[in-house]
Amino acid sequence: MKKANLTHWFSSYSTIIILTVPMLIMAGLTDLFAGSLLIRIVTALFVSMVVVLGMQVFMGNSGILAWAHVGFMGIGAYISSICSMTPTTKEIAIPQIYPFLLNLHFSFIPSLLVGALVAVVIAAIISYPLMRLSDTTAAISSFALLIIINTVLIHWDKVTNGPRTLFGIEELTTVWTAVFSAILILIFAYLFKESSLGLKLRASRDDYHAAQAMGINITQVRYYSFVIGAGIASFGGGLFAHYITSFTPSAFYMAETFNILTMLVVGGTMGVSGAVIGTIVVTFAREGLRAVENFINLNHVLPFDVVGLTEVLLATALILILIFRPEGILGGREFRWMPKKSAKKKIEEPASVQVNE
Amino acid sequence: MAEQLSIEHICKSFSGLQALDDVTIKLHQGEILGLIGPNGSGKTTLINIISGLLAATSGKVKVGNVEITKLKAYEVATHRISRTFQTIRLFRNLTVMENAEVAAVGVGISRKNARQKAMTALSEMKLESYADLLAGTLPYGLERRLEIARALAMDPVFLLLDEPGAGLNEEECNDLLVVLDHIRKKYDLGILIVEHDMRLIMRLCDRLHVLQSGKTIGEGTPEEIQENPAVIDAYLGESGKEN
Repeated sequence: MKKANLTHWFSSYSTIIILTVPMLIMAGLTDLFAGSLLIRIVTALFVSMVVVLGMQVFMGNSGILAWAHVGFMGIGAYISSICSMTPTTKEIAIPQIYPFLLNLHFSFIPSLLVGALVAVVIAAIISYPLMRLSDTTAAISSFALLIIINTVLIHWDKVTNGPRTLFGIEELTTVWTAVFSAILILIFAYLFKESSLGLKLRASRDDYHAAQAMGINITQVRYYSFVIGAGIASFGGGLFAHYITSFTPSAFYMAETFNILTMLVVGGTMGVSGAVIGTIVVTFAREGLRAVENFINLNHVLPFDVVGLTEVLLATALILILIFRPEGILGGREFRWMPKKSAKKKIEEPASVQVNE
Repeated sequence: MAEQLSIEHICKSFSGLQALDDVTIKLHQGEILGLIGPNGSGKTTLINIISGLLAATSGKVKVGNVEITKLKAYEVATHRISRTFQTIRLFRNLTVMENAEVAAVGVGISRKNARQKAMTALSEMKLESYADLLAGTLPYGLERRLEIARALAMDPVFLLLDEPGAGLNEEECNDLLVVLDHIRKKYDLGILIVEHDMRLIMRLCDRLHVLQSGKTIGEGTPEEIQENPAVIDAYLGESGKEN
């Protein structure tokens, strides 16, 4: 009995090991052998992975299309930058900044955490009424929330420098900080999914009425996961800011939302493994396509310049995935080590007549 | 102490249409009460009202002396009332085990005990060997059984079953009868069952309650109901007499 429990335990948590070991190897090889461009790409990959995982925590488990998380990524980017920049830099970068923000100065990690915390507080204050909504209304209302956040970022000159570029942020996100952050969040997202809260949320995703009849307060479980997801996305936004070092509010809007959504949907929203695989596949697909596009243009392969090939092909790929494999590459399954004994048992019983109501 | 679920003078109208009209039913712990009647007589509506998925227009639902009429569905569940659905509503992307586990967790049972409760419920319904399969991959007969196992995992006192025998073949129906009778005795459950299969109903139930167009047209033991002219006229017809 003891041994069976141990095997079960190991099987449940094998997902984490199966996912993180290749990530560490990837980061290690990049650090040792890659040129600066590839280092940038791999770092960006792990930063994106954090945001994708944040979206998975909410969207994957609740089944509700989440538009707003990239907005929270923006909040994290701005708040963490304001925290980590020196007062002197801030005076130049954000001339109209509030005096109380000017003198804030934290090191890197605390800055990221403050950014995440602010997003958590904002999400906690505004999101509860949204969690009563389902399906289309929920998707549209979170889209509206993204617009609101973006508008505030554009117009709050005294915090964000308005629509102008915020620059002068130190490049503190290395490939190692990115990969360790991604692993930390991955473990968290996996444990969340398997927790009681995650289980209730997944039940509500599969059947709203049955979940209620099983005692699940759906609004409440959605609310907690939305707030947690917003916090993770915001943490990822902080990593992004200290990777890219200068940005405008438009970095956290439609294009990035589409990018993050594509990663999650391609991999499969319902699993943590899907989020990881989707991020990797889409990142390399995009970089590959971009290289092709550059090659065509630089060598004048065609009589005209190709513009937007990458975006169009990625969007097409997303459409094809949604048509042919709507549940993503992994279809919500997790990579898992299966002991031979409990390998899938065949269903002996013949399927009896289906009754359509 | 034996509990009692009381449905008192329940009325429900959907924009003018009277779906339930002054229905009063008492369900005691340990008994199986059959709720029968023609299609559209309000049986499922009544179950939805008891379980909190629909609000009654008037009337009361009580567990013992505690009124639960106005509670939301997830609050009703914590009063140890669990249910199944006529149209199967499993959590298709969760494993068989997780389906039962989440039901136990949902009513506030700790995770560790929930796993235990889930395992017991699965073995009552002979599903333990399918525990790791996704619920969405089960054949129809097993889906029906998982609906009941999931409701059992909530550790209920009252179990509301909405056509648990629908679509089952004769052998599966017989199994269902045996298992329902067994769990009723073992866990001292009060079971309210909606079912069209008269052989199942007549053999299983202690008492019957007959609805037609939202009104009660008869109540009593299966024998009494089979002799009740109003019920024969409205529902049982000739086939009822044969049985």
